[in-house]
Amino acid sequence: MRSTDFQTSTEPAPQSGSGIILRATGLRRDYDGVRAVDGVDLAIGRGRLTGLIGPNGAGKSTTLGILAGTIEPTAGIISYAGRDVTKLGTHGRARAGLLRTFQQASEFKRLTVLENLLSSVPGNPGDSLFGALRGPRHWRQFENEALDTATALLQRFRLEPQANDYAGNLSGGQRRLVEIMRALMARPQVLLLDEPMAGVHPKLAREIGEHLIALRDDGMTILMVEHELSIVDQLCDPVIVMADGRVLAERSMFELRQNTAVVEAYLAG
Amino acid sequence: MGVYIAALGFGLVSAAVLAVAAVGFTMQFAITDILNLAYGGVMIAGAYVAYFLNQRGVNIWIDMMASAAAGAVISVLLNRFLYTPFQRRKASHVTLIIVTLATGIIITNAMLGFAGPNSVTYTFNGGPTLRWGSFQLTSAQLGIIALSVALMASIHALLRFTRLGKAMRATASNPNLARNCGIRTGRVISVTWLITGALCGIAGTVFALDSGSFVPSSAAGFIVVILAAAILGGVGQPYGAMLGALLIGEVTELSAAAWSPDYKDVIAFVLLLIVMVARPQGILLRGATR
Amino acid sequence: MNNQTLFYITTLVVYGGVDVIACLGLSMQFGVAGVVNFGFIIFQAAGAYTAAVLSLPSDRANGAFQQYVAGLHLPFPVPWIGAAAVGGVLAIPFTGLLSRRLRTDNTAIAMLVTAVIANALITNYRPLFNGAAGVSLVPAPLASAIDPLSLNYQYVYCGVVIAVALATFLVLRRLTASPYGRSLRAMRDNDLAAASIGTNVRGRRTAILVLGGSIAGLSGAILVGYINLWAPSAWTYQETVVLIAALIVGGLGNHIGAVVGALVVPLGFEEATRYIPAFGPPGLVPALEWVIIGSLILTFLWFRPQGLVPERRRILGLASVRNPSTESVDLPSLKESSTDA
Repeated sequence: MRSTDFQTSTEPAPQSGSGIILRATGLRRDYDGVRAVDGVDLAIGRGRLTGLIGPNGAGKSTTLGILAGTIEPTAGIISYAGRDVTKLGTHGRARAGLLRTFQQASEFKRLTVLENLLSSVPGNPGDSLFGALRGPRHWRQFENEALDTATALLQRFRLEPQANDYAGNLSGGQRRLVEIMRALMARPQVLLLDEPMAGVHPKLAREIGEHLIALRDDGMTILMVEHELSIVDQLCDPVIVMADGRVLAERSMFELRQNTAVVEAYLAG
Repeated sequence: MGVYIAALGFGLVSAAVLAVAAVGFTMQFAITDILNLAYGGVMIAGAYVAYFLNQRGVNIWIDMMASAAAGAVISVLLNRFLYTPFQRRKASHVTLIIVTLATGIIITNAMLGFAGPNSVTYTFNGGPTLRWGSFQLTSAQLGIIALSVALMASIHALLRFTRLGKAMRATASNPNLARNCGIRTGRVISVTWLITGALCGIAGTVFALDSGSFVPSSAAGFIVVILAAAILGGVGQPYGAMLGALLIGEVTELSAAAWSPDYKDVIAFVLLLIVMVARPQGILLRGATR
Repeated sequence: MNNQTLFYITTLVVYGGVDVIACLGLSMQFGVAGVVNFGFIIFQAAGAYTAAVLSLPSDRANGAFQQYVAGLHLPFPVPWIGAAAVGGVLAIPFTGLLSRRLRTDNTAIAMLVTAVIANALITNYRPLFNGAAGVSLVPAPLASAIDPLSLNYQYVYCGVVIAVALATFLVLRRLTASPYGRSLRAMRDNDLAAASIGTNVRGRRTAILVLGGSIAGLSGAILVGYINLWAPSAWTYQETVVLIAALIVGGLGNHIGAVVGALVVPLGFEEATRYIPAFGPPGLVPALEWVIIGSLILTFLWFRPQGLVPERRRILGLASVRNPSTESVDLPSLKESSTDA
């Protein structure tokens, strides 16, 4: 069932020299006459934690959706690790190591927390029709190893007591954590986060932030849409600012705060 | 050639019947977000209420008012005691469809239990047949067309010129926003079921009138055609439903003249499938995306 | 126990077995994978017709009173294999319809409508399967080896049906308990999120449709081999509603629930009405049956949406799991899901 139309995510991506792992050129997206994204060019640096900010309606989530493959662009090209993935669907990009989370917590509500985490682990021999028909012996070992990894992750975020609870029963912040952990279990190279801290308790948000920084230091590339400027300030460098479907600027947070035009656009939104 | 012109005329009658049904159905969806598969059952219930009075000598055109009343009452009760409670429980779309489907089956078979399986016909005076060139329609058929046009005009007037109509349109396009603007959406929804229920009852009677004889299960096949007209015009768009009804009415009658009347419903179905796969938002240019 | 009672019991077993197999197929499609195939009955019908026309002699036989395609007079088990194959292959064109673009209730309608019109088509176009009268005199499988009218034949048929039902149950249970089954349940829950973690949603839906279609086709073949005739009246769109009712009553998302539902609703219920003397105008009892089935659906959906046998929470073995902090109520499977646009 799983076609190998792209390398697995554990293979090192070919170096493109400039350290840009995800590039978008000329992105456009129209909705019934409204231009949500209007000519966006992005170059996401490998191993950086990039922020994407802007007022409501700036087109941030739409852009992220286009990068992830869940939204089809009206125009534009996306290249990931040197390869054109514009025509590749969401699941293809996910298999290649480009994963996303959603603005509204999208954990699998009727699966347990552990099942959520296990569901995204790539390369599971039991995760195909014929693999499953061959019986538990075929995938038991893989599952146990994945279970160990998942347990460790749960312990790190102190969600272990809820391991076998339905994910839908957890609190808002915990459900968001489950979604992030689920994405992490897929061993992504690039992680696209859509407002991961929205509705999350500040203390928990800080923990998530620390974990994201640790992941970045380990080599993961992260692009984060976020509203809360203080969080962006702590975590992101560089920061891309969007408004009205266009990119206004791409700077470090420090430089941005000095640029009044951007601040005004943000306050006005 | 003459047979095709006559078919055009019959198509108008079919379109008239279908329009009344489809507009009611599509408005229910637009304002309450429910694809009410019990619609056919309520139609037939209205048809039988008319039959009941008709047997006692009441003129068929007056019976229709009783059908309208019956349809309105049943629909409002259905919404109040069945659909809304499930919606409040945040039931999924699949659940709601199963609910309306089950309800339709209950109503249709309750009718079957009461009225029996034998087909019945209204007693009415078809009136003189009017001919104009190859057009050939009885007075009753012309009456159906006239009634349908009148109802469509009323709906148009309601939606465009009355405050209620504006409230309905607002609720249809964005219920939350409407509520925040002070519109009592709960009220609007109840009134919608009242009005569309009345349309449904009338639709049942004209359908039965046009079909000649009918049984409780006649509605099952017709709901497919209603769906076709509604979805063709874009679900939730009353004017689209009228257009869809016209298209389907004419196409089915013309195809019946060209090939065989057995496959009338099949044509409607094929059209429906094509639209659902190729252009689910309907053929009108500015479809409501849901 | 006299012969008549024995015949009656074996008939019950065969009908029950067929219902169980069909319900299992739908349980896998709808209950586990969340695929809204409300035209399921078409696949059973396709299997029945295929088995019939593969095992029947050419339609010029028997005085040529029937009209149908094929008529290849093939021996058992070829018609049954053919039926399963046709049921599976027939599912493929529908995968486009069951893609994400349509809201789930629109999909449900499209499939229901397909069932209605398929029935109308077959009824009206006689050369295919003899129209409204249907095909009859379908040969019983292995008639040359055992006398189809004997009690022994009944026992053998029962045995075969039970074996197939059991095999289906075990295979489906193995699939559902595996990581593959988990990804299907994830897909059912939120197909957008499932795609975002690498699941090929479209491919899996196709596979499940084909699998369910084959199972349905096989159940049709088994039934037609037993009752030796098949007509459009046997597969109206309402029959899918009976199966859906069975799943809702029995319990969605788990195959034991499907078995329970199959035994309670199609089998138990329709057999129970056999004992009610016909009263009132003709056709009242069948009509009441439908009223009760509809009411069963509504009652269960409201009071017990998880069914008689709820879907179990899967607890994965962890040495260090302490007491769960929340009282996990078994979530009914028909609550709001995030997949609906």
